[in-house]
Amino acid sequence: MASLLRQILKTPVVTEALKPDDDPQIDILARQIDERARKRFGRSLHIREVDAGSCNGCELEIGALNNPYYDIERFGMHFVASPRHADCLLVTGPVTRNMADPLKRTYEATPGPKIVVAVGDCAHNCGVFVGGYGVVGPVSAVLPVDAVVHGCPPEPRVILLGILAALEKRP
Amino acid sequence: MITDSTLMVDLFLLTLACFGVGALGALSAAGSPALARIVGHVSALLGAISALTFGVAGLVGGTMELNIPDLLPVGGAAFGVDRLSAFFVLVIAVGAIPAALYAIGYTREYAEKHSLAGIGFAFNIFIVGMILIPLARNVLTFLALWELMSLASYFLVITEHEREDTLSAGWVYFVMTHAGFAALFLGFLLLAQTTGSMHFAEWSAAAAHLGPDTRNLVFVLLGIGFGSKAGVIPLHIWLPRAHPAAPSHVSALMSGVMIKVGVYGLLRVAFDWLGAGPLWWGGMMLIVGAVSGVLGVLYALVDPDLKRLLAYSSVENIGIILLGAGAAMLFQATQLSGLAALALVATLYHTLNHAAFKSLLFMGAGAVLHATHTRNMEELGGLIKRMPQTAALFLVGSLAIAALPPFNGFISEWLTFQALLSSFQISAHTVNLIFALGVAALALTSGLAVACFVRAFGITFLALPRSDRAEHAREVEWTMRAAMALLALVCIVLGVAPSLVLTPLEAIVFDLTGAHADMRFNLTAVVANGEFGWVAPLWIGLGLVMFLLAIPLALRLLGANQRQRFYETWGCGRALQTARFEYTATAFANPFKRVFTVLYRPIKDLDIEFHPESRYFVRTIEYYNEGRLIFEDAIYRPLLGVIETLARRARVLQSGNVHSYLVYILVALVALLIFAV
Repeated sequence: MASLLRQILKTPVVTEALKPDDDPQIDILARQIDERARKRFGRSLHIREVDAGSCNGCELEIGALNNPYYDIERFGMHFVASPRHADCLLVTGPVTRNMADPLKRTYEATPGPKIVVAVGDCAHNCGVFVGGYGVVGPVSAVLPVDAVVHGCPPEPRVILLGILAALEKRP
Repeated sequence: MITDSTLMVDLFLLTLACFGVGALGALSAAGSPALARIVGHVSALLGAISALTFGVAGLVGGTMELNIPDLLPVGGAAFGVDRLSAFFVLVIAVGAIPAALYAIGYTREYAEKHSLAGIGFAFNIFIVGMILIPLARNVLTFLALWELMSLASYFLVITEHEREDTLSAGWVYFVMTHAGFAALFLGFLLLAQTTGSMHFAEWSAAAAHLGPDTRNLVFVLLGIGFGSKAGVIPLHIWLPRAHPAAPSHVSALMSGVMIKVGVYGLLRVAFDWLGAGPLWWGGMMLIVGAVSGVLGVLYALVDPDLKRLLAYSSVENIGIILLGAGAAMLFQATQLSGLAALALVATLYHTLNHAAFKSLLFMGAGAVLHATHTRNMEELGGLIKRMPQTAALFLVGSLAIAALPPFNGFISEWLTFQALLSSFQISAHTVNLIFALGVAALALTSGLAVACFVRAFGITFLALPRSDRAEHAREVEWTMRAAMALLALVCIVLGVAPSLVLTPLEAIVFDLTGAHADMRFNLTAVVANGEFGWVAPLWIGLGLVMFLLAIPLALRLLGANQRQRFYETWGCGRALQTARFEYTATAFANPFKRVFTVLYRPIKDLDIEFHPESRYFVRTIEYYNEGRLIFEDAIYRPLLGVIETLARRARVLQSGNVHSYLVYILVALVALLIFAV
């Protein structure tokens, strides 16, 4: 116990300040999203991520939004555990047969008003999986999609741009 | 106000007449079940209403003396009334009125297989026996009525005698009630012999001159006798067997009301017949109350049988009542009569409250049983959609028994807490320690009771039905719902307007202890023990209602979206949602089973049957997690073993040989002659 306390006291702050050449757009972008989300939903943006059959590449990038570099939670953007709490669905991957019905149920369970962002090339047009026997089609074949994020996988910054685009589509 | 004793006698005779008509009417209408059902139960309803009036008149101050010399040997039948008796008559009537109304509908389905004449007869005799017991004024009247009540209720318990478990439950009840009767009989005879009177009225004066050993012995004997009827641990074993086995209107009466007759006896012994006793009497009562409270609710918490759960919960509530009574005895013994009176007020209040909400809950469980024909909670669920009114009324009962404001359980448990917490005014450390135990036990009990009734209501009424029986349940008929609604109303009124009850309770307690309870109250607030505790149930109730109304109002004012959209419950996107995904009663209770494993001593068993070709495939999994009944194992089984051994030894005498019987007769004759000379 004492050694642990000593360790805590001796360890300095290890986080680093942002360097000038780091991406300053994240800050601006995230603030814009937050501002629009507050106008649209009356509160900060709550996001539910649905993996409809992705290879998990997009999930890594979405996960990066929560890492210490991007940390979008500081702008009030929050990944939630249930569509009942969400304003925005981030859907990745080509929609597989197994996930088509749960995806529709998730969309229905999300209270309106809501936005849907299809993340990644597979969500847009099934990517390399197009024509696969287990694939129903792109996300737009199952749900009304507000914005599409291209890339395989898309960078976190691009994902934020996609969310902003979806928010701006219906003011 | 009403001192006109002729009015009291008239009401008394009217009550008797109603029940008499009910009992005999039901018997004589044996040919037509529907007529027997209506006559038996409507007369019982009228008799109970008359008894209620009698109780109210007695509480207001009416008195009565009635002796019928030739009815019974040794002093005849003697009846009288004081405020305590009148209060218990009132409590019984509060349980009996809705029970009779409920029975009109509930017993309809018994017509096919059972004798409704018998049910109606026993029902009337049972209630009239209970009503008369508090009014009995000498030993023989009391014991005769006690036996009448016990026998009538025994026959009601074994109504469904075609079931094996009903008969064994009835047998356990029969034995326990007669063991209690034997203890009572001994205690009464001892007291009658030493005081030289069979009349209760002369006991309180004469008992003060008895030796301490006699007084202690009488207290223990009568304590066991009345305690076994009240169902205190460890004399409770008949209660979780007999109450579920009986028809539900009878369960409601037995659990809500009959066990209160035991409480009446205990209070009579402790505050009237024997007067103030040594400290250990009160300490004993308090400890028994604490143990009954905690263990009762712990057993209730894990039981999957809805009616058995309620029966265990009665053990718990008797524990709470005895906590108050024990505290009152300890305060009395330490000359703090104001606090003793406060504790007694709490005791009597909880007695009345328990009669109301436990009857309500048993009737709710009965309605569920009527609609689904199962008491097993693992087969219920989803009933709130199918029986919305029963569900709402059961919820009122659950909230009341969980002691949540603004319902009645809250105010009486609050008063019990105030009485127990005031024990710092006693300066004996052992006594303080016992009180601290009592406070801790009451706190644990009320907390666990909330969990217990979240489980009872949630598993029974919410989510999806777990069986076809629950799936096809229908709301019960109006007499049953009306009876429950009546009791729910009583629960709410007793909860928000305690001053209605506290005034007469104070008068009763003043008669018993000669002191005013250390409390003040008006229409809205109750202040206990100086300024020690303060509560305003009416404002709490109003505040809660306002708060619940304020939420939709505020949303409307803020311009929130009022549009509604209905969609299935979110089930993580599963295509199929069945009852198998639900929380079960066993699973809900499992954390408690683990924490209190010392008590339950569960026998866990996991049977897995594998596919013969490969152990990677499972055919069936069976999981048992049965609790053992430690009191049966530790006390009753060894006791039965001893009795059986003795009986085996005694059987040597019964050889069947005529010659040895002749020898017995000769020996007995000679012995008697020697004895006589």
